[in-house]
Amino acid sequence: MTNDRVPPSGLPDPVRRSLFALGGLGLGAATVGFLAATFRFLVPNVLYEPSRRFAVGPASDFPPGSGTFLPDRRLYVFNSADGFYAISSVCTHLGCNVKHIGRGFECPCHGSQFDENGQVVHGPAPKALAWYALSLSPRAQLVVDLDQPVSPEFRLRA
Amino acid sequence: MSQTIWTRTLTWFDGVRRSVCRVGWPATDKDRAAAMISSLFLHIHPARVSRHVLKPTYTFALGLISAILFVVLSVTGLALMFYYVPYPAEAYRSMKDLQFVVTFGIVLRNIHRWSAHAMVGVVFLHMCRVFWTGSYKRPREFNWVVGVLLLLLTLGLSFTGYLLPWDQLAFWAITVGTNIAAYAPVVGDQVKFLLLGGHVIGATTLLRFYVLHCVMLPLAMLLLISLHVWRVRKDGLSGAENHASPTEELAGVFPASTKTYGLMAISKRPQASVEARDPNDEVFAWPHLLYRELLIALAVIVVLHVVSLVFMAPLEEMADPTRTPNPAKAPWYFLGLQELVSYSALVGGVVVPTLLALALLILPYLDRGTSGSGRWFAPERRIANTIFTAVAAAFVGLIVIGTFFRGPNWAWVWPWK
Amino acid sequence: MEVRNIAPLRLHLLFAGLGITFLLIFSWVLFHEEAAEWRTTQARFRQLEGDVKNPHQLAEAASVGGLRQVWLPDLGRIDRCETCHLGIDDPAFAGAPAPFATHPGTWLATHPTGRFGCTPCHDGQGQATDYAAAAHRPQPFVTRPMRPLETIEANCGTCHRALDPTDAPRLAEGRRLIAESGCFGCHEIPGFEGMTFRGPALDSVGYKVRPAWLASWLKDPKSYLAQSKMGNFRLSPDEIGSLQGFLLSQRMQVPLDSTGVDWKNADTANGRALFGELRCVSCHAVNGRGGTMGPELTNIGDKVRRDWLFSYLKDPHRVQADTPMLQYRLNDAQWRDLTAFLLEQYSSADTGAEPPPVTYQDARLLAAGRAVFERRGCSSCHRLAAIKETGRIGPSLAGIADRDPDELPYGGSTVRHTTDNYIFLKVLLPDTLGQPSGMPTFGFSPADAARITLALASIRKSDLPASYVVGRPALVPYRPGGKFGELVMRYRCLSCHTVGGFGGDLSTVPLDRIGSQLQRDYLANYLLNPGAVRVSVEARMPVFHLSPDEAKTIADYVSMVFLDDRFDRYDTKFTSAEARRGQELYGQLGCQACHQLGTKGGYVGPELSTTGARLKPGWIAAWLSTPQTYKPGTLQPDYGLSGADARALTAYLTSLGRSDAAKARGGKTP
Repeated sequence: MTNDRVPPSGLPDPVRRSLFALGGLGLGAATVGFLAATFRFLVPNVLYEPSRRFAVGPASDFPPGSGTFLPDRRLYVFNSADGFYAISSVCTHLGCNVKHIGRGFECPCHGSQFDENGQVVHGPAPKALAWYALSLSPRAQLVVDLDQPVSPEFRLRA
Repeated sequence: MSQTIWTRTLTWFDGVRRSVCRVGWPATDKDRAAAMISSLFLHIHPARVSRHVLKPTYTFALGLISAILFVVLSVTGLALMFYYVPYPAEAYRSMKDLQFVVTFGIVLRNIHRWSAHAMVGVVFLHMCRVFWTGSYKRPREFNWVVGVLLLLLTLGLSFTGYLLPWDQLAFWAITVGTNIAAYAPVVGDQVKFLLLGGHVIGATTLLRFYVLHCVMLPLAMLLLISLHVWRVRKDGLSGAENHASPTEELAGVFPASTKTYGLMAISKRPQASVEARDPNDEVFAWPHLLYRELLIALAVIVVLHVVSLVFMAPLEEMADPTRTPNPAKAPWYFLGLQELVSYSALVGGVVVPTLLALALLILPYLDRGTSGSGRWFAPERRIANTIFTAVAAAFVGLIVIGTFFRGPNWAWVWPWK
Repeated sequence: MEVRNIAPLRLHLLFAGLGITFLLIFSWVLFHEEAAEWRTTQARFRQLEGDVKNPHQLAEAASVGGLRQVWLPDLGRIDRCETCHLGIDDPAFAGAPAPFATHPGTWLATHPTGRFGCTPCHDGQGQATDYAAAAHRPQPFVTRPMRPLETIEANCGTCHRALDPTDAPRLAEGRRLIAESGCFGCHEIPGFEGMTFRGPALDSVGYKVRPAWLASWLKDPKSYLAQSKMGNFRLSPDEIGSLQGFLLSQRMQVPLDSTGVDWKNADTANGRALFGELRCVSCHAVNGRGGTMGPELTNIGDKVRRDWLFSYLKDPHRVQADTPMLQYRLNDAQWRDLTAFLLEQYSSADTGAEPPPVTYQDARLLAAGRAVFERRGCSSCHRLAAIKETGRIGPSLAGIADRDPDELPYGGSTVRHTTDNYIFLKVLLPDTLGQPSGMPTFGFSPADAARITLALASIRKSDLPASYVVGRPALVPYRPGGKFGELVMRYRCLSCHTVGGFGGDLSTVPLDRIGSQLQRDYLANYLLNPGAVRVSVEARMPVFHLSPDEAKTIADYVSMVFLDDRFDRYDTKFTSAEARRGQELYGQLGCQACHQLGTKGGYVGPELSTTGARLKPGWIAAWLSTPQTYKPGTLQPDYGLSGADARALTAYLTSLGRSDAAKARGGKTP
């Protein structure tokens, strides 16, 4: 069935047509705007969660050569000869906390083993432990940013 | 070659389109009729309407505006539900969040509140219009009853929603309101206990009111609105009957049209038939009626936006059961009752509301005459109109007094002082 | 079927108009969101960062964007202040314009925003994201707008409950004033529960005071005693008259035992000597000089009757059971002399002879007096057996800082209606607010009243999580039992000494481990004959005239109980080599600059020639090693002595005065 291409009845006057079009444009824009606004409305602007970026303590809390486990943050913070770095303790297999054994890590749940850089040596874990960016706050506190993953080359010289 | 591909692509798109919208933009009369009948969302309209119903002064579109407001309230309410938490201190916190950190939170909340107040007012005006045009008479009695139930549901929705911000205004308004309800004999205290979910207004009350406000009452409302509009469709608009066309005089000569526009395929019972009308008086619902409905919807939305951008919905301090503001006032539509209650709890809280509600409900079964239906202030209905107008004006007057002329301790104040 | 028009032209105009209007409105809403005040402020901040030199700060600042929030579910706070106050925790912004400047002082180092937010200290509406709504200034419907900085210590006090919190001097002063003024006598005040303020019991006041004195006292206590805790009750002359009659008829309680005293032979010179020996001025000032633990005695002769004073001095606890005054052991003649001396020496010139006691018969007067007594709540502070105690007469001050300011009776006062203003006016001028008030006028200066207001404004309604509360408000009282306890109560040792922090601070020597510090025999003899340990210190323990039995009881108990094992485990077998080395060190370290040996040496510290008989070796060694840990702020230097050196010095000091002391005392040690 073909479309008759007959203009909408009742608008022989070009003025009427243009007014109609104007109104229709406004309406259309408003509809699109309404949908966009609804979507934007639903995007939260503040989060009621623990911050993804937090201080773990002054640098002096992590003496040279140390590796400190922070259980409530699920992080290891190391202070090596060439700087600070932070490795997640969350096993990439199913989420248990890995233990720091020797120079590497071992997961007690299913036996995954990681080397000192968090790379998988052995076991069911599919990928390496995550590294997170470390920085120094203006008040000389070490700050971890869980939203900024980094490579195992990362060191913070402080 | 490219023509063929182009044509085929277009045809393919057209086929997709047609599977979704069976009727394209109507260009023929058949299409215009089909646009109404075969659409899920639009088939509440008849295919054709009398051109006289297009006049705004006919019903002032009050029923339509009420329905539009209901849709606006549902949409804004749904959006607000993504942030609102129905637990005492959290409710207030989430209201503050809507005010400060949610994009468009202020506008949405204001629209919701002002359209709620508007709906109570519009629904009331709609009732007045129906009465003054005598449109509740046979065969439309039951629809009037449904309408009264809708009025009560509207008040219930507004009342349950009033508590949700959990500020001083909300808390004490609902305290007053539920205490008025408790004056009902025999069942009053039980009703209050059920409403509150206990003896004091607390977390259980808030949750109950929230569920009533967001689920139960809207579902009931939806059901009854559907029934109400269905009835309007079946019974036709009362005003249309009064525009007798010349052909009516020829009723004896030509048989009356018994065409029906029933949606059911076969029915044994005769349907309400469309009165004999001059086909010249009819126009297609598409686009005439739909266009005007669109305009009204647009006007309502624009007005709501302007009002919401200028006037902020109130939010006082958080509810504090130990501190009663003086005076503590019920929501504005119950202030008339509160005014009466200040004279006599029994009269104001029980007798008057019961009488009013009963009177409204049985009204069409008292007034059995059918004359004067469909016309504004028909002379034969002078007495009925006068009584109704007097009662309505008195009720509105009581509300005005309760709002403006009552101060601390419910003492009389002159608002301009 | 053709229809010419859908609708008349005006409807199309309306459609177009509405459509355009809606579009405009919508655009405006979008614009309004983007132009939110905080976004503008953050844009200003980003322009500011160009001026910041430190690249670290630049990197930090560049990451700014969006709302910032500190969420503290324990405290129920959501603080979004840092959305605009972007430099608050960054020292680089110290000189930046408001609102970006760094927080002054070191407050954020001890109270990081991540744990404390902002509003627990500053109040205001934390959830807001613009200046006005955050209640930087008073805002409708915001119950706690931001606190002016001069009263901010009130909020320190909601967490810091100690009576003397560090770094909050105004608050500490306020709490001290409350403790001293005894407000908790009439009002229940959280944080002061352990304290019971009692004015003297009034059961024998008819024996005690002269009528003229009583009348002038009831009119204005401070006219007699400037340090008086009792406020001016603004009594009418009628009330004073009837109350005076009622009180003077209180002559119950034990009869005075001054019969048979030969007043004619009273020796006031002996009385003066006793006055010095008993060291009364340690607690009672005269003519502006002396201690403040007891009332001033400058005009005591105007106040008390002779027979009462005699009985009181002889046995204070029998006459007035809960008095802090201690009981010395003198004979009647001595008490007579002392009484006569006091009454003669310390009276104003126009005080005549003592009038005989009057018995008030007028039942109406007595009833009226009793009514005044009850109505004004005198029994909140003064016990009287004739009146049943009804508890504190004033309202409880629990949660006072959270009282609704609109519900407080301001009366005709035109100050802004805040809770702080109300409390201040009430403390300063109790009778000027609203309805007639029973609260007496205490005559606080405005500064003192402001401090008290600060302290009271820290008393909030809600409970804090325990992890935020710091400091205990009141000490646990120390009340030993048995014979030792009786002696402690009789001689009121805790008026001047502390045990476990509880007690008075007139003496700098806490008694907690005195048994491991002093040798038992020395202590027993000292109690009988308190002498000067330090030449340069004026205040010293009074002569109590203890019996030898009492001294024995105390010395035995103390040596068994008030011990510190760290000192008692010291090896006391010294060699003579160690003693010689110690003597060398004594010279090398220059101890004689402050300490005396015999008559030679300095006067700053105690003389040491009897150390062997006085102190225990364990304590000496500990003290010499780290004196500051035992007495912070002491002048004794920390020489950083090795264990061996400390031991050597101890050996030397322990050898001093052993035999001398025994000889010097002669007689028997109890």
